Amino acid sequence: MTTRRLLTFVAIAVAATALGWALMAGLSRVLTTTVPDELPPEGQTAAAPPAPGDPSAVPRIKATLFFGSGDGHQLVGVEHEVPLGDSVVAQARAILEAQLATAPPDGLARTIPEGTALRGVYASERGEVFIDLDGAIRAAHPGGSMNELVTVYTLVDAVTVNLPTVTDVQILIDGREVDTLAGHVDLRRPLQKNEELIAR
Amino acid sequence: MSRHLIALVAVAAVAWAAGSAARAQAPGATLTVLAQDGRRAMPVTAVGGRDYVALDDVATTFGVDVRDDRLAGGVSVTAGGTTILLTESQAVVSVGGRLVSLPAPPVRQGGRWLVPVDFLVRALGPALGTRYDYRRPTRLLVAGDLSVPRVVARLTASDAGATVTFDISPAATARVTPENGRLVVAVAQADALDATLPAIPAQGFVQGLSLADTPGTLQIATGPRYASYRASTSQPDAGSTRLTVELRGAAPPTAAPAPGTPEPAPAPAPTPPPAPDAGLPPASLLGGDEPGIRTIVIDPGHGGDETGTTGPGGTLEKNVTLAVARRLRTLIESRLGLNVYLTREDDRTLSLDDRTAFANSHRADVFLSIHANAAVRAGMQGAEVYYLSVDRATAEADRMAAAGGTTLPALGGGTRTIDLILWETAQTRYLEQSAALAATVEQALASRVTMSPRAVQQAPFRVLVGATMPAVLVEIGYLSNPDEEQQLASGPYQDRVAQALFDAVSRYRATVERGTPQE
Repeated sequence: MTTRRLLTFVAIAVAATALGWALMAGLSRVLTTTVPDELPPEGQTAAAPPAPGDPSAVPRIKATLFFGSGDGHQLVGVEHEVPLGDSVVAQARAILEAQLATAPPDGLARTIPEGTALRGVYASERGEVFIDLDGAIRAAHPGGSMNELVTVYTLVDAVTVNLPTVTDVQILIDGREVDTLAGHVDLRRPLQKNEELIAR
Repeated sequence: MSRHLIALVAVAAVAWAAGSAARAQAPGATLTVLAQDGRRAMPVTAVGGRDYVALDDVATTFGVDVRDDRLAGGVSVTAGGTTILLTESQAVVSVGGRLVSLPAPPVRQGGRWLVPVDFLVRALGPALGTRYDYRRPTRLLVAGDLSVPRVVARLTASDAGATVTFDISPAATARVTPENGRLVVAVAQADALDATLPAIPAQGFVQGLSLADTPGTLQIATGPRYASYRASTSQPDAGSTRLTVELRGAAPPTAAPAPGTPEPAPAPAPTPPPAPDAGLPPASLLGGDEPGIRTIVIDPGHGGDETGTTGPGGTLEKNVTLAVARRLRTLIESRLGLNVYLTREDDRTLSLDDRTAFANSHRADVFLSIHANAAVRAGMQGAEVYYLSVDRATAEADRMAAAGGTTLPALGGGTRTIDLILWETAQTRYLEQSAALAATVEQALASRVTMSPRAVQQAPFRVLVGATMPAVLVEIGYLSNPDEEQQLASGPYQDRVAQALFDAVSRYRATVERGTPQE
């Protein structure tokens, strides 16, 4: 009887310890995934590319960049090496900089006007990523719904496809929220990944 | 004798040639100056697509002194003790020593000085100490504090009668009085009217629509089939008044009011004109709350400074969309007898939310936004139809908003519950109907024009977000495709698109009135 009691006591103690451990581990995991949300809003400093003089020293990862398909109404993903960022914001910035700077491979077309500059990348406390573009993109953009859709979703998909923890992306122009880029796509709220536009 | 005759013929020929040359440059365009002392006309000359007036005409019209300053290569205008100095090819003028910019420099043409019409508002007005308001679409220069409401009239006619609507902005009281052979429409406290009047098609009810002699009045000249009228006013939005005058014929099947007897203007909402065809009993259209399509708002995409996309040959999207919208309005008004409103009647800048608000305030049953497309590849072609894509968060927000009404105190005591609709989620409730409308539009387009491989799509387009009715955005073709650009700029293709959209509206109306998929 006493042995049984002892065994029950030991079993309860073990179970309680295991539960405690699971709780702590789980909590720390949750805390880890929310780390990007706690980043300072000034993404630029966090995303400063390391040692510009020595590119070989920077670890690089493969990311998917997007370009216009041969017929112009789809996005085609192309793998490209980009510098590894030390946070979600820094990584988003590295991907977007590569997206803006990379010329399309043969047979594909640029979906963002050449020379478009990235002013900054930020994340809100709720995990939304903000892409702040220079106002010159407005004058350079040729207009048309399809053009505007592929421009906007190249940016949104470049972030959401490569960084699965980011689901909402909002585009700002000159640091401000805008109605649209060229008169069609609603930019006043965050957009989600668009897989319909991506060629399979 | 014969020599004199030849000389006379020669003079006449020269005069005719000079006249036709002048017409070719500016086809008889005049600018009207409205001031306390009356109405004067000034000829307008087009230079580089811009309206110019001659300074010697300015001198006679405004009683100012114009002097050539050959040494300085310019001209001076003395008005009310202030001197305005203009220099050729300089878009900046000095008004009493203060610099004022013009949209384009003055030009010298055949010994005359021409200045952009903006000169009158920006330079001459300040020099004379008078404020001028220039209405570009009607080339009207209004002086001082004259009240000159803008009036846009429209006429729809059927076998049973005709309806003339007057959209008056800013809002004003308007009164209709029958006189011999005409109905006089007087806008209260108007010194004059800035009116756009339609051409009158052949029918027996209305013979003419024109400004009357008394300032601030218009007249409807009635035709042989006219017997009685009925007038009502409504306020489609805070800034305008709509006066609807229905003209009816004599000897209808049932008892009609005595000829010429005006009925009191009762209902605030204008009664839609009877539908001439569609094989439906007219009652289904005139009955107030029955489901039906009575009002269509067409939104010609872009406009003004916002040109939209541009084709490789220079065709502007804003012009194509307006041309198609106008053709579509004519078709719907004349064949279905529905109320049709365009969000813009001319080349003007309009925000996306204003376009949607216009459709909401006009209580449109269908909202069609017309656009022309562009893609990164020139080969891309065909028409596309879009309805709104809604993310989960928006749909959820709408459910929350719909769950609880808001209670407000009512006039005369008590309370009433109103359903507040958030702009950002307004279209969510009409998504199913918009999808059905998009499918109807796609089918109708496919039978008349080439469709793109992505014929029906969903996208988060701003102009659809706040619409409280079935709403679609139609891309009528790719301006970035050189062949399609040529078509889009041509009348026959615009007619085909308008005809297809008319078919779509007609079919959609039939579906709604049969009560199949709605609500």
